[in-house]
Amino acid sequence: MPRAGEKNPETGGRLRTWGVRLLAVAFWLAAWQLAAWAIDARIILVGPLEVLARLGELAATEEFWLSVATSLGRIGLGFLAGVVGGVLLAALASRVRAVRELLAPVMGALKAVPVASFVILVLLWVSSSELSVVISWIMALPIVYTNVCEGIAQTDAGLLEMADVFGLTGLDRVRLVYLSRVLPYFRAAASLALGLSWKAGIAAEVIGLPDLTIGEHLYDAKVYLDTPSLFAWTVAIVVVSVVLTAAVDRALDAGLRRWEARP
Amino acid sequence: MSGEAFELRGVEKSYGDLSVLSGATARFEAGCAHVLMGPSGAGKTTVLRLLAGLEAPDAGSVACPAGARLAMTFQEDRLLDNLTATANVRLPHARLRGAALEAFLVRERAALAAVGLPVDCRPVRELSGGQRRRVAILRCVLADADALLFDEPLKGMDDATIAQVMDYVTPLLAGKTVLWVTHDPREKDLLPNPVLWTVRDGNVFKL
Repeated sequence: MPRAGEKNPETGGRLRTWGVRLLAVAFWLAAWQLAAWAIDARIILVGPLEVLARLGELAATEEFWLSVATSLGRIGLGFLAGVVGGVLLAALASRVRAVRELLAPVMGALKAVPVASFVILVLLWVSSSELSVVISWIMALPIVYTNVCEGIAQTDAGLLEMADVFGLTGLDRVRLVYLSRVLPYFRAAASLALGLSWKAGIAAEVIGLPDLTIGEHLYDAKVYLDTPSLFAWTVAIVVVSVVLTAAVDRALDAGLRRWEARP
Repeated sequence: MSGEAFELRGVEKSYGDLSVLSGATARFEAGCAHVLMGPSGAGKTTVLRLLAGLEAPDAGSVACPAGARLAMTFQEDRLLDNLTATANVRLPHARLRGAALEAFLVRERAALAAVGLPVDCRPVRELSGGQRRRVAILRCVLADADALLFDEPLKGMDDATIAQVMDYVTPLLAGKTVLWVTHDPREKDLLPNPVLWTVRDGNVFKL
């Protein structure tokens, strides 16, 4: 414990870590700006200052926020469907061996096939406006399925035996014994799947070109050689991804803490 | 449950080549305490697991009172690491809601305090081994059960803690079937008028 007047070593360490990180970011931003000045060709590379200015212009338009909301809504829907589907299938597969064996090649294929192949294939079956929903669903499903299956498999046989002795059955057994083991696996899967769903969903939009989406704007920026917009939209994608992942992680952590701390 | 009993009838049990019980026969009357003693590896835990229905005999039969509700402490704590002590103790009462839940929580907190456990929101993974052991004992004695099975519940506890735990636990055992496994003969003095048994040479003998 630090004495009065001394700095708390933990706080000091955290500040130093953040300081180093900010310095690293500042270094690369400066390098980027210098490179843009050196190349001096806006069509190839624009500096961070210009990108920020363009992002500011875009953010002042209604179309920008509508596009972000549309992309977010569709990809979020696919992600949620993937999470729900992954959990339900994992529960079923853990109980019925035939289902587990039947799903193994499907989940393997979903993880191995490149996103671009899926996008083109799925585009043959659904409209471009539904494409990002399906693609983000395809991204989230196998991750959540695999992790939840692992969590269920890792449930201690001794705890299940204990539940048998105390006559804990059905939903109570799932809620108290399995959930206790599966939640950390689920939390990791949800966080990973969200990031992947978001990136793959935007990629799908770039190929499918549904109206009023981030992907469509990215494509337009590329076609019209509007490099500042291309960078600005990319920054917007990264910012949304970081904010979204942090928000979901915090919500899941808070939920987990509340669940653990209930009397 | 009066008049009924837990029974082993000519039970044989082996694990691979290791024969643990060979023709074990015993009748544990309901409504009183039974202490099963014997050296480590004699088969005491196997007897308890057979009576709890967690193992099937290779030969012979095991009888339990019809509809008997069981509670048990195992050699390991078998607690849900992510949950609080109260949530673990309440596990056999998973369906409690509203006023009944609040009333049971009051009882749980009093029980935790009585055996020297902290009453807080920490998950049990943050408790020491001895504290976790006491949580497991409370889960067993506060379960709404007819028969309580204890597998070396006081293992590793110091005398002061044992006294504190037994002061709380002993009144709760009255009128229930108690099967208490231990390798420490001193523990027979902790229970009121127990029937003493020893497990050795693959059989169970009344002392």
